Amino acid sequence: MKTKKISEFIAFNIFRLLSLIIVLVLVAILSFIVVRGASVINWEFLTAMPEEGMTKGGIFPAIVGTICLVGGSMLFAFPLGVLSGIYMNEYMRATWFKRFMKLMTNNLAGVPSIVFGLFGMSLFVNTLGFGDSILAGSLTLGLLSLPVIIRTTEEALKSIDNTYREGSYALGATKLQTIRRVVLPMAYPNIITGFILSVGRVSGETAPILFTVAAYFLPKLPSGIFDQVMALPYHLYVITTSGTDVEASRGMAYGTALVLIMMVLVLNITATIVRKKLNKKLKVN
Amino acid sequence: MKKIYEKAAHAVLFASSTVSIITVLLIILFLFREGLGLFGQKPIEDGQVLLVNKSNPVNKLTSDELKNIFDQEYTNWKTVGGSNDSILLFRIDDIFNYYTEEELAGVDTNMQLLNEKVSELVGKQTGMVAFIPEKQLVLNDKVKTIEVEPVTVSGFFGGELWFPTSQPAAQFGILPLLSGTLWVSLLAIFIALPFGLATAVYMAEIARPSVRNMLKPVVELLSGIPSVVYGFFGLIVIVPLVQQLFSLPVGETGLAGSIVLAIMALPTIITVAEDSIRNTPRSMKEASLALGATHWQTIYRVIIPYASSGITAAVILGIGRAIGETMAVLMVTGNAAIIPHTILQPMRTIPATIAAELGEAAKGGMHYKALFALGCILFLITLLVNITVEFISGGKRIKR
Amino acid sequence: MKKTIILMAAFLIAAAGHIQAQKIKGSDTVLPLAQKEAEAFMKKNKGSRITVTGGGSGVGISALIENTTDIAMASRKMKLSEKMKVGESGKTSVETVIAYDALAVIVNPTNAVSQLTREQLEGIFTGKIKNWKEVGGENMPIVVYGRESSSGTYDFFKEHVLNNKNYAPSVMSMPATGAIVQSVSQTKGAIGYVGLAYVEKNVKAIKVSFDKGKKYVAPSVATAKDKSYPIVRPLFFYYVTGSAKMVKPFVDFILSAEGQRIVELEGFITLK
Repeated sequence: MKTKKISEFIAFNIFRLLSLIIVLVLVAILSFIVVRGASVINWEFLTAMPEEGMTKGGIFPAIVGTICLVGGSMLFAFPLGVLSGIYMNEYMRATWFKRFMKLMTNNLAGVPSIVFGLFGMSLFVNTLGFGDSILAGSLTLGLLSLPVIIRTTEEALKSIDNTYREGSYALGATKLQTIRRVVLPMAYPNIITGFILSVGRVSGETAPILFTVAAYFLPKLPSGIFDQVMALPYHLYVITTSGTDVEASRGMAYGTALVLIMMVLVLNITATIVRKKLNKKLKVN
Repeated sequence: MKKIYEKAAHAVLFASSTVSIITVLLIILFLFREGLGLFGQKPIEDGQVLLVNKSNPVNKLTSDELKNIFDQEYTNWKTVGGSNDSILLFRIDDIFNYYTEEELAGVDTNMQLLNEKVSELVGKQTGMVAFIPEKQLVLNDKVKTIEVEPVTVSGFFGGELWFPTSQPAAQFGILPLLSGTLWVSLLAIFIALPFGLATAVYMAEIARPSVRNMLKPVVELLSGIPSVVYGFFGLIVIVPLVQQLFSLPVGETGLAGSIVLAIMALPTIITVAEDSIRNTPRSMKEASLALGATHWQTIYRVIIPYASSGITAAVILGIGRAIGETMAVLMVTGNAAIIPHTILQPMRTIPATIAAELGEAAKGGMHYKALFALGCILFLITLLVNITVEFISGGKRIKR
Repeated sequence: MKKTIILMAAFLIAAAGHIQAQKIKGSDTVLPLAQKEAEAFMKKNKGSRITVTGGGSGVGISALIENTTDIAMASRKMKLSEKMKVGESGKTSVETVIAYDALAVIVNPTNAVSQLTREQLEGIFTGKIKNWKEVGGENMPIVVYGRESSSGTYDFFKEHVLNNKNYAPSVMSMPATGAIVQSVSQTKGAIGYVGLAYVEKNVKAIKVSFDKGKKYVAPSVATAKDKSYPIVRPLFFYYVTGSAKMVKPFVDFILSAEGQRIVELEGFITLK
């Protein structure tokens, strides 16, 4: 009896320790960047143009660029993804084709982002002739998040018990009415959470924009969808690896990394809050 | 009215899902169309030919032989099955070693003269091999062109050299890249596994709800940090650390990549494994406890075996995540295209290769196609991962 | 959601009033120089926009061929095959030398070796020489850093120092020059090649000899100018004749006294 207890004690503490190490790793990464980045970040850093070969000034164009790309990709992927998700879950009959499509969307959701970059470059930049542009970059990023959004939507819809749908039909509602009035409001929180998390993912991706939109230096803000933009993740990548004076631009790198992390942090927290709030509201109703 | 509305909505939904389906299929089609185009092509730069003296018995060379010849590793035609004659290399810029400006007067305006001279020269030198543009080729009866063996599937997967821009003949052997990718990502999983599983079990079974609620955002945040940030952290912290720890000549190694990837794969492993542990029926746990088993015994005798398929799925998905990671790996593994013997060597992975080389590869060229072929391999690996997960979970819902 | 729509709408409207913009893409060696020049040029000409992107000389030239850039920066001459591709699309490329760059071979400052011959460099970079003691240093393995194959520096070094032989596969390829400096500065047995402008106090530039050890010359602006340092290369801007009108003001600015002063400030070698 005693040895049992001891082995349990040991095992549990090992588990506890290993979990603690993961927390410590996160803390290490965050504090490493926060401590060194915090002193760099100020109003000027966020709103000024880069100067002196990226060693001075700010990262404003990169922030704007990332916002453009996120906006553009979501504008395209979110409606398309949600509508497709609804169609696939509510309308499509369970045939081999549906299974095939599911496998493919699942697969695409797991495909490395560089493969999307490959495809985006060959289709949007070269074949369709958009060149390196916000349009090409947004579409590539949109494609990247499309399967994720489709899947989140499907999952959200699937988790709704069929009795709700049947109840709605029994009251004489049509299929569309059922979806709009019953199913979607219930799935809404999860869909929105999925959306916010996609925004987080898109804003941090580098590989897909390498060959479709990212610019090293751009003195002014983009003026149209065929312009190139700077983007935060790419900016971090270039200033850590390029430049005549790597040491001098280190500060900028820490600051950029911190801004990127803050963005993800804020998005994650928002997602959690939104999910909680909306779920609560739903239950009250 | 209602009917029309209903129909219209259906049409919109149908249209958008068709668009999605088409894009999905388009991506696959595009990748493979470009990627498969590599095979059967000659690995010699477009519009260039190799010219030798007619008396030379060699008619065909592999790209490997060509590389060795132009690297001056092979210096005698005997090595490649020819006669005993030393190899003399000629590139177009070498022309001035043989002819004076005057003899070539008007080279720029009248390339014809240059070409005749090249053929004349090759016709005189029995051991010479000239690498020249095809467009300006003027054949005379003393010279002939040499065939280069096309890229084959086995040469692609079995080749040990990756020199995609080497001239005259590019080398497309992906063995170093493939083995680099596998070494880095498999070790990453080995590192991540104990941590991931322990955390999953801890979160699902042991931790108080308050602790769990604290751990959950930690995991979410770990998965949310952009990969360049991991790469940046890896480059500045982990690379020097690995170098000092193992007192290596160089810190940019597969191990540094594995550590970074391990951190990045953790969230996937934890989320999927925890989910499947949670799905263990309550009745099974309670039965075990009622029989007098301790909580720990219940965990490793009942819960873990029950959740094993989910845990396997977690591991496989983790591998999938690690194999495809690009930027972080590009920044820390050193990117030398060699077949590694230990994890403490620099390595080059497939995604990093695509990211580093795609920009330079001219559209439609051999190199471009080779990178697409690499993309296809990544796609197929992901497909394999997903099918395996589907198969293991046997229709059970795996949350990713 | 609404906000993004408004944002996008704003862009579309803004797109109507498009200003003449030029894109510059290519060599990472020229990148910091082009960026500074662009900064100065735009300060003088308020209405102009110049986008600068790196990636490597090969990246820039293939972008020029595919018409996705207006100027390609290159640290090597256009290859014949590239020239032919430009020709195939019915355009003619214009080549302008904007500055010169000395290529420095760098090692870790703690390394005892301070001079090498071309033959030794060839041996090191093709993998024949593997230990520093073979070239008069201490007994430690040589860690060789190079650039990605998209880099003009990669090609130039291969042609002029390696006698056109291929690099050893074990050469680590770094995505950009800054990364080489970073790695060489923290790796004891490291050797790498970078543009003179990148040489800083954390790395040591070694003297090289191209006459089998008779005379060793250290890289500097002065030795590059009097041509005693052997590894000097021109830096190019390429554009097609069709866009000459648009890009000429900027190219002329770089060639002007003011532009050349920036060349000097950045550690490159001026045309005269």
